[in-house]
Amino acid sequence: MQGNNKKYLGILTLCCIHFFISCTSVNTAPDDIRTQLIEPPNPYAVVDKSPMDISYYPVNYPLLKMDGKDSAGLTARLVYSRPQKNGRTVFGNEKCIQQYGAYWRLGANEASEIEFFKPVTIQGQLIAKGRYIIYCIPFENEWTIVLNNNLFSWGLHQDSTKDIARVKIPVLKTARSIEYFTMVFQPSATGANLVMVWDYTKAVLPISF
Amino acid sequence: MKQLVLTLVTLCFSVTILQAQGKLPPVDKSPMDMSYYPNSYPVLKIQDKATEPLVARVIYSRPQKNGRTIFGDLLEYGKVWRLGANEATEIEFYQNVKINNSKVKKGRYTLYCIPYADKWTIIINKETDTWGSFKYDTKKDIVRMDVAVQKQTETTESLAMEFEKSANGFSLVIVWDDVKVALPIVL
Repeated sequence: MQGNNKKYLGILTLCCIHFFISCTSVNTAPDDIRTQLIEPPNPYAVVDKSPMDISYYPVNYPLLKMDGKDSAGLTARLVYSRPQKNGRTVFGNEKCIQQYGAYWRLGANEASEIEFFKPVTIQGQLIAKGRYIIYCIPFENEWTIVLNNNLFSWGLHQDSTKDIARVKIPVLKTARSIEYFTMVFQPSATGANLVMVWDYTKAVLPISF
Repeated sequence: MKQLVLTLVTLCFSVTILQAQGKLPPVDKSPMDMSYYPNSYPVLKIQDKATEPLVARVIYSRPQKNGRTIFGDLLEYGKVWRLGANEATEIEFYQNVKINNSKVKKGRYTLYCIPYADKWTIIINKETDTWGSFKYDTKKDIVRMDVAVQKQTETTESLAMEFEKSANGFSLVIVWDDVKVALPIVL
């Protein structure tokens, strides 16, 4: 019995050490988060809680360009802000961040902006070269994705008279939850997919060109 | 005892899993941001309070000081800098403007800077959607302008850019660490 207790004590000590290391490394988490917590508000331009990001197709186009590997040319660019889950359930009823059936800006702060540098086709609809805002109406099993002309707007000042296209895409469930809302382009057989992921939800918008 | 140990082992694994999830997907250390002239144009637009048309927008990433001396140390004087982090900083004009007495046509441009102790050379270049300043090509310059460095008593942690109204147009104000500069843009 005493031997067993010693063994358990050994495991217990290892657990404590592991726990301690885990907690220490949590404290040395990404600089961006830490800075946002300790930094007094920037008097010129406050640093956003939901940082902005940019995605290109071809993927990482600016890096390809720098390496002289950009012969295919630029097809699309997306500028969006990245809200975080922060322990909440993202999609669902009125207690969630984003309620099913309600318009969602597909990001945070400024309206999310997508630009096509050549004409593309989305579910058979021809989309002219140009810049659009992109937003979404999420449901449990499908999302309606909207391209709209109301550029340079904030949040979702919804004006369906300026809609260019509306398409429905299925919702997929992911095995693990994603903390930051993420939109990226991925190559496909007919062009590229715009992959949108947040929490346990993933939706894919196929774009042909 | 056995149960306590089992609980702790489970807890340890949970912490490890949570941490592994927290690391992905990567979020930029220097977050991107956007500034407009007129200031906060998108908010004014949705409130129907925009009295002037949209003139300019800058998209840049915001590196942090993190206890370092930025100018003359992290950024060497006389060397071209991307005025941000990651992707090259972009400025877009929605109408023709004038910088340093040169006409700059409506369109998207990349902004660079060559910092010195007392002045910065601000560069407007036509090669857009590029990364850093590694492929900076002077042949694609549209205009350059030297602007005076204004030393600040307070330091600014994250690089900041905003537009300010001026008598004959507006200025692009850039602040980081203890340095502030303003690039005059004439309408």
